[in-house]
Amino acid sequence: MAGPLRAFWRLVAYGPGERPPRRRIRWRVPAESAAQASATIFLVLRRMRWPLITVIVIFAVSTIGLTFIPGRDADGSPDRMSIFHSFYVVSYTATTIGFGELPDPFTDAQRLWVTVTIYLSVVGWAYTIGSLLTLLQDRSFRRALALQHFTRKVARLREPFLLIAGYGQTGRRLGRTFDSLGRQFVVLDAAEENIEALDLEAYRFDVPGLAADARNPDHLGIAGLGHFACEAVLAMTNDDEVNLAVTMAVALLRPDLPVIARTVSPDIEHRMRAFGTPTVVNPFDRFGDHLRLALRAPATYQLITWLESGPGAELPERGRPPTQGRWVLCGYGRFGQKLAADLRAEGLTVTAIDPAADPDEDDVVVGDGSDPDVMARADLDGAVGFVAGTDNDTTNLSLIAAARRVNPDLFVAARQNRPANAALFEAMEPDALLVLAEVVAKEVYAKLSTPLLWRFLQEVPDQGEEWAARMVDRLCGRCGQQLRTLWPVRLRAASSLAVGRWLGTGTARLGDLLRSPHDRDRPLAAVVLLLKRGDEFVLTPGDDTELRDGDELLIAGEPVARRAVDTTLLVDGVLDYVVSGRSVPSSWIWRKLSGHSRSSSQR
Amino acid sequence: MNLEKVVFGFFVVLAATLNFGFFIGDLSDPDVHNVYELFAAVVINLIATVLKFGDRTQIGAVHLATSLVADLQLIAAAIFWAYAAHISSAGLTGEATAGIVSLSGGALFANIVSVVLLVIETVSFQRR
Repeated sequence: MAGPLRAFWRLVAYGPGERPPRRRIRWRVPAESAAQASATIFLVLRRMRWPLITVIVIFAVSTIGLTFIPGRDADGSPDRMSIFHSFYVVSYTATTIGFGELPDPFTDAQRLWVTVTIYLSVVGWAYTIGSLLTLLQDRSFRRALALQHFTRKVARLREPFLLIAGYGQTGRRLGRTFDSLGRQFVVLDAAEENIEALDLEAYRFDVPGLAADARNPDHLGIAGLGHFACEAVLAMTNDDEVNLAVTMAVALLRPDLPVIARTVSPDIEHRMRAFGTPTVVNPFDRFGDHLRLALRAPATYQLITWLESGPGAELPERGRPPTQGRWVLCGYGRFGQKLAADLRAEGLTVTAIDPAADPDEDDVVVGDGSDPDVMARADLDGAVGFVAGTDNDTTNLSLIAAARRVNPDLFVAARQNRPANAALFEAMEPDALLVLAEVVAKEVYAKLSTPLLWRFLQEVPDQGEEWAARMVDRLCGRCGQQLRTLWPVRLRAASSLAVGRWLGTGTARLGDLLRSPHDRDRPLAAVVLLLKRGDEFVLTPGDDTELRDGDELLIAGEPVARRAVDTTLLVDGVLDYVVSGRSVPSSWIWRKLSGHSRSSSQR
Repeated sequence: MNLEKVVFGFFVVLAATLNFGFFIGDLSDPDVHNVYELFAAVVINLIATVLKFGDRTQIGAVHLATSLVADLQLIAAAIFWAYAAHISSAGLTGEATAGIVSLSGGALFANIVSVVLLVIETVSFQRR
């Protein structure tokens, strides 16, 4: 019975030529908690033993007692109730229904016993129901129930999904981005409130979330580490140790899965790299790289940030950081030192201010940046740039204000630590803003949304500033200031007859694909960023580029354009129209009648 | 000595003995099968069943299954008795008694399995 159904499903989901991913492989992923979760019902039963026994005993004593009490039958002659009748009376008395004295009016002795029965049974039921309610309120029981619920939801996932460990700032940003891309994900976070936040978020998918420690491989297992549809694991917690543990667990238990881990410590990064080939994102490092790129090639930086920002991003402003002169850096911790090294590598001089800095080092002012004397020693008047890079938002904001008072022309970069302060930093209008979570989220998006985007972003810096500026202009001209969608298109001759014929002619031009299906003289609001053919990559291929079977394209543009391209590739008549301008009837009969046969369109 | 085990063993054995007491005697003679004994057997069997709740071992599962079978048979016997004694016009005839007692006989078998399991569990526990 399941055979044909499965075959149908395979066709629908993967197309005729492709094979579904192999499901046979059993990974050695532990799932002990899952087994524990299924035992929730046993917990209920075990705790309900004594209450239930109490109820049974009370019923038994009441029933048997009632049969022994002397009574009278309808004629008034002495009689005793049978077990059946007394069970009936006790049943409706104990459940407080109370039909009255059945089958015959009771004697006073029976009434006395029924009074006892009433009180006994009320106590019995109160105890039983009370125990049940306490059990439902019980923390461990609720957790067991949540675990069971989560396990079932994850096990039922059939679409590819991402496993996100850590649902803090970074996790939430990623969640929103992937949800808007229509990607399913599963969340694991140690903090209960973060998982509760999942319910408040208006995701299109039902996102399974579990409050559990991601360091435990068992928890990763029930969150879908061993699931065939798991695509990648993201270790995005604030704790580097946890991220390292997740990276290790994935490398050892599912070596085939890609891992993206966040860390701010080079040591941890080094240890992560010892396990397989994880993608490690160090936001401090990345910000330094971005700043260097922004100094050297503002347009390239602008293009990369725009594409990395995800669907619906506005064109960021092209900053003009000063490329010569001296920078003043407040906060010389891990972030400050990294940034100073990057700036020095670009040929800039840096003066760092930090109360805990080593006084023997060159260009270092020891002291608190909010102290005017310390500021004066750093000589802001002669500086061109200022970075407020401490890990305290209030300090950073006041530092910016102080620095601007001394020298209003400074290029100001600020570090924002808490998402709640976003409005304050926005009002302060720094020239560059570092939000750690954002840096990581962008990087992960670029890496995971489609492999072509990642490839494109790798190629961009080598193309030069001029090219990037032209590219930004072109994107703006075609699609406006907002980058709505980025999507990959795969051209397969097997996907439809028309596409097969078209690709087979050898004159399939890329430009034709980007014509509007309604009016072929109008181009679609879309730009092809990348063409992948085998292992070759062509950046921004021209309209005359010839397309072949198996080519992959990365297109940026309006959602309307995406639907148009999909229609063109799916509907025979539309493709004929955009390529040749002839309206081909869409039904087979009309095509035969009007003389348009296959040969004519193959011309 | 574990008090829980004592209580458990007590109820399992008592359920079997009461059941046996009701079952023994001429199959169709109502006089040798006391209905109070049937009542006690039902109650004790129910208690034994509840005591077996929540045991996740394999032997615990079989224990629970046998108890449920005994409950089912005994409750069927009780309903049969109520029907024969109160609803049927013929009253508690020999045929009806035979039906009730044979149902309780089935329950007795399940109870014997329960006792055997109890013995097996005890023996295997001591060997370890």
